[in-house]
Amino acid sequence: MDKEAILEKISTAFTQVLEHSNFTLTDATTADDVDGWESITHMMIISEIETMFGIKFKLMDLMNMNNIGDLVRIIQSKI
Amino acid sequence: MEYIECLKKSIEQHASNNALCIADTYYTYHDFANEIKKIRQAIVTTIEASEKLIGLVTNDDIQTYASIIALWLEGKAYVPVNPENPIDRNYHIFESTQTKYVLDSSKEKTIYIAFKVINTTDLKETYPNLNPKDFSGDNLAYILFTSGTTGNPKGVPITFNNVQALVDAIDAEPDFNLNSTDRCLQMFELTFDFSVVTYLFPLLSGSCMYTIPKEAIKYFYVFKLIKEKKLTVLTMVPSIINYLRPYFHEINEPSVRYCSFGGGALHSDIAREWSSCLPNCKIFNYYGPTEFTVYSGFYPYHKDTHTKAHNGIVAIGTPQKNTLYILVNETNEDVPIGVTGELCLGGPQITPGYWKDEERNNTRFFTREEHGETIRYYKTGDLCIKDDDGDFLYVGRADFQVKIRGYRVELSEIEYHAKTKSKEKVNMVALDIENTLGNAEIALAIESEPFDTTEIFNHMKSKMPGYMIPTHIEFIKEFPHSINGKIDRKKLKTYFKTN
Repeated sequence: MDKEAILEKISTAFTQVLEHSNFTLTDATTADDVDGWESITHMMIISEIETMFGIKFKLMDLMNMNNIGDLVRIIQSKI
Repeated sequence: MEYIECLKKSIEQHASNNALCIADTYYTYHDFANEIKKIRQAIVTTIEASEKLIGLVTNDDIQTYASIIALWLEGKAYVPVNPENPIDRNYHIFESTQTKYVLDSSKEKTIYIAFKVINTTDLKETYPNLNPKDFSGDNLAYILFTSGTTGNPKGVPITFNNVQALVDAIDAEPDFNLNSTDRCLQMFELTFDFSVVTYLFPLLSGSCMYTIPKEAIKYFYVFKLIKEKKLTVLTMVPSIINYLRPYFHEINEPSVRYCSFGGGALHSDIAREWSSCLPNCKIFNYYGPTEFTVYSGFYPYHKDTHTKAHNGIVAIGTPQKNTLYILVNETNEDVPIGVTGELCLGGPQITPGYWKDEERNNTRFFTREEHGETIRYYKTGDLCIKDDDGDFLYVGRADFQVKIRGYRVELSEIEYHAKTKSKEKVNMVALDIENTLGNAEIALAIESEPFDTTEIFNHMKSKMPGYMIPTHIEFIKEFPHSINGKIDRKKLKTYFKTN
């Protein structure tokens, strides 16, 4: 799956959890840039993405994930 | 003040040790001392001696921590405000304490234009030393504001004598001793009273504290610090490990010596699993309200030998040195062993009383004669049972106060702000609901056909910190009522699905 397709799927997950789509996800996007992306919703977004891609993140993956670019790379390495 | 004298000695003796690690940058005690001296010079030359309550914008930087110590050396109190909270709320805090001066290290231009602001990042002159001034222990050391029922936060002033009593009590505890090689987690915002123990005790022992950047996802960053920095001392709210629970099987951290919990109910099943992740660690389940200077006592949890719990919540144990616990009924009379009563705390850590709030002071505090002495007690609003061994077991709250990520929240404050801006005059009830991780979240139930709540939420966001904004909302045509006509909050909670 190419990066664009992954980004699109991730965006769907964000919209579902955050109940809005007032964001554009790029490699540099962090929790600071997206309204409502914080501790609680982060957990929900992660589990939504796990279900979508049929993957399971490791704690090590998650602790080093600082932006959307990191998230995409981790997903690519697992599918 | 003895503990301030000890702080000075520790800062001087450990000059080459690291004091702080902020966003991967280390600062030594020498660096820390320099910042304190610069800020102290600015305080001494700018602020009148009679001004005792000084505002502090709590950024995640060395200047903010140095400001606290600089103020203390001068016998002054810090009144902290979180820069992420609504400006209205922060202004209200400074106005109610009649604060004229604010210490601010923010990179952007200060927003506290109505006050005399000292920019603590841009100071040249230095005070010659760290010798504390001579001042009364009755002076205030800090005032913290917690959620209040009438829409405005309530102030809890704490004196230097109160903090000294806390230090004495922790020093008297033989099972908890920090040393200068410890690496300690400081995950708390400085407007939250738990932060007092997570910066004060590392500084007193010459160890290094590790902070969490404000933009980080807290629980992952906490784990990253434990893993990469090999932290030895953890102090946290239980909600952090609730988030990490799905990953416990990946966690094994032998470096951790102590893990203290506080600021919320610790469930025994998760405590057991977490203690398996930290094979060399002593776990303390601390209890204590802001009104009693952070900690009043603890239960030493051990997954094999000390597992006392009530309804799945780990016991809060016994009071620490010089603290008295009593359990009373509605008329402030003692209840027998094994019977639920409201926990009241007496001793030298008790606050002098809420800031300018006689009415609340008359209801939350009382005195009684014991062995020829007058003892003043604070009514915590927490219900407990004392067992035959003398251990206290936590049962629940006596009122509508809940804990969200460790912060105390009055549900009525949320309802107040939700209703004030609503054009529709309808019933609204704020509820605490539990998500699947076991963490409390705020829900808002509205007795009405659905309508647009954007304006209501914008208003709430302008008045209350993020953790108080409801994350779930449901419109219900008619609220369920109990037999005696009250809104059935328990049933109302079943309308909310958590995932």
